[in-house]
Amino acid sequence: MRKVQIGLIVLGVALLAVGGVVLLDDVAPKNYAAILLWFAGAIILHDGVASFAVVAVGIAMRRLGRSFRVPLGAIIIVQGAIVLGAIMALIVFPEIIKKSIGRANPTLLPLDYGLNLAVFYAVLVVATGAALAVYFAVARRQKVRPLDSHA
Amino acid sequence: MWHLQRLLHSLNSAVSAPARNPRMAVVIGRLLGAAFLVCFATGIYSHFIQEPLPWMVFPTRPIWLYQVSQGVHITAGILCFPLLFAKLYTVFPELFSTPPVRSFRHFLERASIALFVAASLVQIAIGLLNTYQWYALIPFPFRQTHYALSFVIIGSLAIHIAVKLQTIAQYWSKKNSYEADGVTLVPAVNPHVSTSPDKPPIDTQPYAGITGRVVNWIEATPQPAPAPSRRGFLVIVGTVSAALVTLTAGQSFRLLDGTNVFAPRKNDVGPNSLPVNRTAKAAKVLQTATDAGWVLTVANGATEKSFTRAQLLAMPQHTVELPIACVEGWSQMATWRGPRLRDLADAVGAKPGDSLRAVSLEQDSSYARTTVFPEYVRDELTLVALEVNGETLDLDHGYPARLIAPGRPGVLQTKWLSSIEVL
Repeated sequence: MRKVQIGLIVLGVALLAVGGVVLLDDVAPKNYAAILLWFAGAIILHDGVASFAVVAVGIAMRRLGRSFRVPLGAIIIVQGAIVLGAIMALIVFPEIIKKSIGRANPTLLPLDYGLNLAVFYAVLVVATGAALAVYFAVARRQKVRPLDSHA
Repeated sequence: MWHLQRLLHSLNSAVSAPARNPRMAVVIGRLLGAAFLVCFATGIYSHFIQEPLPWMVFPTRPIWLYQVSQGVHITAGILCFPLLFAKLYTVFPELFSTPPVRSFRHFLERASIALFVAASLVQIAIGLLNTYQWYALIPFPFRQTHYALSFVIIGSLAIHIAVKLQTIAQYWSKKNSYEADGVTLVPAVNPHVSTSPDKPPIDTQPYAGITGRVVNWIEATPQPAPAPSRRGFLVIVGTVSAALVTLTAGQSFRLLDGTNVFAPRKNDVGPNSLPVNRTAKAAKVLQTATDAGWVLTVANGATEKSFTRAQLLAMPQHTVELPIACVEGWSQMATWRGPRLRDLADAVGAKPGDSLRAVSLEQDSSYARTTVFPEYVRDELTLVALEVNGETLDLDHGYPARLIAPGRPGVLQTKWLSSIEVL
């Protein structure tokens, strides 16, 4: 294991060096500030904003769940829907904004992304509702006939 | 007091959710690592096909090679969003490890992770924005930076795997990871204390001292059931990934065109039923490309021949099915028609091993001049296309004549040809 670790670290450092050389060689120094800004932005947005938002949502969901005695499975279904909706927004919102600012030609960003996202969210709400209905129906049946689960 | 206990417990269990354990970090890490390697390999291929080293020869078959490799590059890149977020989620408590820095080794480890995470986030974000051509948000040369960062990321990945190798080995298989009741197994080997995603889950280790008693009091409320939470986490990651592929990959893979509602490109949208990257207007060729006096000059040293469009049309015409595949990941199959490039090269006595230079009417672009290597020149599918999809080539697709060759990225399929020189 030690040999593999040393090999990987040597490889890693070598690749980092290649990355550094390529950056110094191919990218003019006047651009470094903007790249650093992007790195700082990524750290701040992730460590400082997104992470805490995720924790806050997690706590809120748990507290709501406990107050209304919502079972864990139902919480996971709702959390899943929120995560899916959020990541889709992350991918699609920039398209909506960029398209409204202007694009190089009409074949770039040709779709009505706002409308498509709205339809997606409508489908997501319906699908989440259906999944919850199925979940509660199954849970109720298991509660009525608890012995079945041991059969 | 009771409320405080509840709130603290919420905070604690939100941070130490069942999905946050070393086994899950390994499961997601494997997928993310694979996605990174796929992006790296396809990215390197795309880089060197555009900037080949002198000894490099590229295959011209299968004709969809570049189409698929670049489609996979972009699709895997989009998949990195949910996978990277999931990975960061599984190791989230690491952010708050106390004390923040324990030793020089620990400092190096945290610094390398910070670099790894930041580079990965920047890489996928600028990659996505580049496919939207939102260049104003990328105030540095995209291609060079994306290329340099790819080495930083894969290098960091190798170091990360080396540092975590013990953990990865232990939690690689499921049976070594969980007890029968679903609780995560404590690391068997003495893990370096600094690697706290490997920290045994709190419910297996009572804390000592006054702080410990407070912590134990906070944890007195029951933990969520581990196994269903973990399964739920994986189902969520899988569902998000499947949704992203289904709703965006249609720009690269025709099979998914019907469900392509979120990709920046859509098959069949554009002149000649094909998307356009650079328009004739953007390339400033509106005048020169429509000039009635346009001829294609083919030169081999002192030998020089000029072909009007009518003369090109009078040559033996060939019809080929080839994809146009952009570095931005979108691609589409099309039917091209025109004389073979090798027939034009032979008309000025080019030898089989000769490379050609294709020159565009386009003025200020790094792709206005491209080198066509012998494997493409001699290929029977390589055409100087005059028509596409049964129509005259649209001005935005390179009228009066453009290059089309198998397995080359779109930027090298020179549009608005003005001359071809034997090198």
